[in-house]
Amino acid sequence: MAAVDDTPAGTPVIGGRGDALGVRNLSKTFPGTRALSSVSLEVRRGEIHGLVGGNGSGKSTLIKVLTGIHAGDPGGEVELAGQSMSADRVTPEIARASGVRVVHQDLGVFLDLSVAENLSLGSQYETQFGARIRWGTVRKRAASLIKQFDIDAAPGDPVRSLRQSSRTLVAIARACQDVQGSDDGVLILDEPTASLPAHEVSLLLGKLRGYASWGRAILYVSHRLDEVLELTDRATVLRDGRVAGTFITQSLNESKLVELIVGPRLAEVLPTPPSVMSGEPRLTVRRLSVGPVRDLSMTVARGEIVGIAGLLGSGRSSILRGIFGVDRPSAGTVMLDGEDARFKSVTDAMRAGVAYVPENRTEDAAFFDEPVYVNIGAASTSSYYKRFRIRYRIMRHRGAELIEQFGIKASGPDALMSTLSGGNQQKVVLARWVSRQPRLLLLDEPSQGVDVGARAEIWRIVKEVTATGTSVVVVSSDFEELARVVDRAVVLRRGIVAAELTGTDLTADALTRLAYFDYEDDDDACR
Amino acid sequence: MMLAVDEPAATANSAGAGGRSSRLGGRKQSLFLQIVERFGLVIFMAAMVTFFALNGSSGSIFTSSQNLSQILGDQAIVGVIALAMLIPLTAGYFDLSPAATAGLSNVVVAALMSKHGWSPLPAMVVGAFVGALTGVVVGYLVARLKLNPFIVTFGVYVALEGATEWYTQGNIISNNIPASVGNWGLADWFGVPRPFWLLIVVAVIVWFVISQTPFGRYLAGIGSNESAARLVGIRTDRTIWLATVASGVVSGVAGCLLTARTGGADASVGPSYLFPALAALFLGATTIRPGRYNVWGTVIGVYFVAAAVSGLILAGVNSSVQEVVNGVVLIIAVAVSTFSGRWREQREERDQRRRAESVPDSSDKSELSL
Repeated sequence: MAAVDDTPAGTPVIGGRGDALGVRNLSKTFPGTRALSSVSLEVRRGEIHGLVGGNGSGKSTLIKVLTGIHAGDPGGEVELAGQSMSADRVTPEIARASGVRVVHQDLGVFLDLSVAENLSLGSQYETQFGARIRWGTVRKRAASLIKQFDIDAAPGDPVRSLRQSSRTLVAIARACQDVQGSDDGVLILDEPTASLPAHEVSLLLGKLRGYASWGRAILYVSHRLDEVLELTDRATVLRDGRVAGTFITQSLNESKLVELIVGPRLAEVLPTPPSVMSGEPRLTVRRLSVGPVRDLSMTVARGEIVGIAGLLGSGRSSILRGIFGVDRPSAGTVMLDGEDARFKSVTDAMRAGVAYVPENRTEDAAFFDEPVYVNIGAASTSSYYKRFRIRYRIMRHRGAELIEQFGIKASGPDALMSTLSGGNQQKVVLARWVSRQPRLLLLDEPSQGVDVGARAEIWRIVKEVTATGTSVVVVSSDFEELARVVDRAVVLRRGIVAAELTGTDLTADALTRLAYFDYEDDDDACR
Repeated sequence: MMLAVDEPAATANSAGAGGRSSRLGGRKQSLFLQIVERFGLVIFMAAMVTFFALNGSSGSIFTSSQNLSQILGDQAIVGVIALAMLIPLTAGYFDLSPAATAGLSNVVVAALMSKHGWSPLPAMVVGAFVGALTGVVVGYLVARLKLNPFIVTFGVYVALEGATEWYTQGNIISNNIPASVGNWGLADWFGVPRPFWLLIVVAVIVWFVISQTPFGRYLAGIGSNESAARLVGIRTDRTIWLATVASGVVSGVAGCLLTARTGGADASVGPSYLFPALAALFLGATTIRPGRYNVWGTVIGVYFVAAAVSGLILAGVNSSVQEVVNGVVLIIAVAVSTFSGRWREQREERDQRRRAESVPDSSDKSELSL
């Protein structure tokens, strides 16, 4: 396919006076990288405009420039509410006054306060003499906002009692209340569905369509391509800080979007699974109970990749933590190559050749204020202790090799972990464990928050590792990916194995259906 | 200088192999700034000492070998206590107990000699052991029971201080202690007070353990991200516990040194070193390896505070100025490290931007060669 850089292959888009938001030739340079290069984009009034791109493609930076958190490089231009200004002049105050509103994935609502209080905190409490809050007025105004934004809640309800999608709506109403009635400005939604259960997503999308029909421009930022395809009128794809194109959404499909996000070279994103493995079991789990998981039995062959599919709360992570000696199983046996493997500590598990890449990189894996090479060597520190000293030079040299081998984008082994993008941090953590040549590699959501390109590389690395006989158990909530990557999958539902799929049965649809089984009725009711 | 070699953050900040190839234009300037940053405190200290030395009548007293020797010797004890605090602090665990532990060890060593007729060496071994015991207790509270280290160790500090005051009833223990003990601590080696040499020995050991052994790496790992440290196989509780015990032993040694310096024990002296030691730690984090608590910065910090106090007192300021200096230095040290941190970020940003401009597209080398 032809290169798509800067040349939209879909219907060309014309910017006009009526645009709610215009960005022209915007660049933003950061330490080490140019996060945005000559980005141009228009969002029309009443339009839902998708913004997609891999991690590190510049989406967050663009949002930050539009909201005045980062100053753009001089030379760029931002047009808001009919006024054009230089990109380095946008301040949070100007952005706000021009009607830019952002609702982040982390909503920033106060769960223990009422809906009315949450809405008031976004503007001002109505007060009377002596700064006494006029609760009656506050409640009345909240009721009217609830009605306008069609939120399923009462003013006095604590936000904690609302369902996820309603909390998002409260956050949106709070952000937009003072620009109601004007169609200037733009509402930016940053991954609004990331923490939403599947059946609430369509609910939220429906409401958003309603808001757009008032003339409100919405910039919808998401990793979830199906939502972008379903919801948006047009979509802009960012890649490596450049606009890969702006398209009418109807002219797009998922594979085309992926191609645009990844770029022509990595179009074949995920490796195809090989034929099913056979061989002696490396890992044998019998009637294991750990955390919410009950009576789990499974085997993993040498060189096999087994997936564990399940929703949040199904206990998927507990299994890995139980095997790795972090959580203590309450019952059951675990055997590794025929030997007892109920590890009492992480150290024991590591000694036996087990490795674990945790789900939450920020909290459980990254040493942000340490250099990359120290992060890579962190699980092998004692092996660098020779003749009474830590041999930092050897550690650094090894780190540099692995950076090369894993395609980690860093300015060098001395770069601090905090300067890397999420996908590259994940590769660092993977390198940390793979370099120990484990017998069993446990991966907990290894591609979460990682862009499509880095995902492909992570899976390629995992494949390479299995070629040497390492077995892999991977937990993922991305069933699409799981179905393509693993040899076999176990579906967990409420702590119990609901099914095991292999071969042609192993599809994303099947996994989804099995994992969500209980919720299907609910989902229909919402539509 | 040996401390510049083979430490992760030191290689990261100095213009190492990674930066050398690409950082051309800004390199000279940024190297200069790095030197100023790393050795700013030393330069400032030299300026301050010069100022006091040239200050009219008191200048000659300030620079007299007697005064310098006094500062070097007395402050060595503060230095050892600060190093004791540094060990758990590397893992992010504040430990305020060492000054009181040193006071306890001081009283125990002196009492054993004075009231029980022990000879100095075994008494001092017991002093170090008492320090280790306190470390065990602190470790139990902090690593096992997981109580807030700052508050708990402050509690330990107050309790120990009170216990030693109670035991001595406010009196100084000095009877029946061989004169050789006090004389040892007052004597010189190569014209420099012995306690200073001891401080250097302790500093080298602590530096080595923290930066050159797996134990030290584990401490740094815990300090960076405790949960991640646990998941790379570091036995975090045990490591922290070991750190508090090591800290206790070093505190015990400080108590022995205090006994050898004063020839007895005064229960109020050890605990009074808490704030100078804290000030030295924070001050130390602004130099040598800016942004991190470090051994050599701490040693420099100790003598910076001491020189300031001595200079002011000799210039005629009331001796209560000491507390003021400690407090002000704490505040300034925190302010300097905060501001220099921000400044460093900005500088790095500028630096990297320049690099990004000279290498327009370095972003696309995603080919994987396994």
